[in-house]
Amino acid sequence: MTTGTDTYRRDLVQALRAGNVPPERIGEIVAEVESHVADTGEDPREAFGPAREYAAGFAVPPSARSRVSLWALVALGAVCGWLIAEGVLGVFRNEPVLGLPEGYALVAGWLLWVPAVVVQARRHAPVRDPRTGRSLSPGRGRVVLAMTVVLLLLMVVTALAAALTSA
Amino acid sequence: MPTETWPAEWMRAALPLAVLAVVAEEETYGYAIAQRLQAAGLGAVKGGTLYPVLNRLEQDGLVTSSWREGAGGPGRKFFTVTPHGRAHLTGRVAAWHTFTERAAGLLPSVGSPR
Repeated sequence: MTTGTDTYRRDLVQALRAGNVPPERIGEIVAEVESHVADTGEDPREAFGPAREYAAGFAVPPSARSRVSLWALVALGAVCGWLIAEGVLGVFRNEPVLGLPEGYALVAGWLLWVPAVVVQARRHAPVRDPRTGRSLSPGRGRVVLAMTVVLLLLMVVTALAAALTSA
Repeated sequence: MPTETWPAEWMRAALPLAVLAVVAEEETYGYAIAQRLQAAGLGAVKGGTLYPVLNRLEQDGLVTSSWREGAGGPGRKFFTVTPHGRAHLTGRVAAWHTFTERAAGLLPSVGSPR
């Protein structure tokens, strides 16, 4: 029951976010579900239907601002990924990137990662439970951590690929 | 009172006014509203149907809501009718009765061959 509610909450928050529902509304919707099933003893899926379907009823078109920030994120991510991958390959092959020492590409990749993380963290405004003020979503710290891990993984994978192909 | 399942489109039409009427009787919360609707013979209304109706009423300024500490749980959302909601209900009730009477007037009587 508890795990059912936890999974449902996670799925619902995710689906509502994907539907551009403002964070305050997400908190309200999730708290309504939890408070209702606490009264009825039902499984949230049974009372409210699949999280995605329930969330679809609240979805709103993305604001211009959120569309711009998504594009900024994709563009920054692509440039970072390219710089990091080229930088790592450059280190292995001892080749410059764009005519500059390969270390520059790595540094530039990581520097550009900072605005990408900021944009993503802004997109993930925390969702709070209106009943308790408790956070219902992974905090911004988790967003930063997850994105950093992604970039580190990219470096490791590229390094492995470079090591394997040059061997 | 039989516990029936009514056609979904009938429920969609009737629920906003019925829920508003329940909230107008007294300040109340979701589960209690669902129980009240069921007791009135409208069948079991699921949370997934009820809360969007309540949210809509709130968006339209017909009810307001606030979270209150519950005895056992972490709290319930209580809904209260607004003056605008009360006026809306009064205005719509007469219209609803006229509408349902006219619609019923078109139907053959129960048990008649056509």
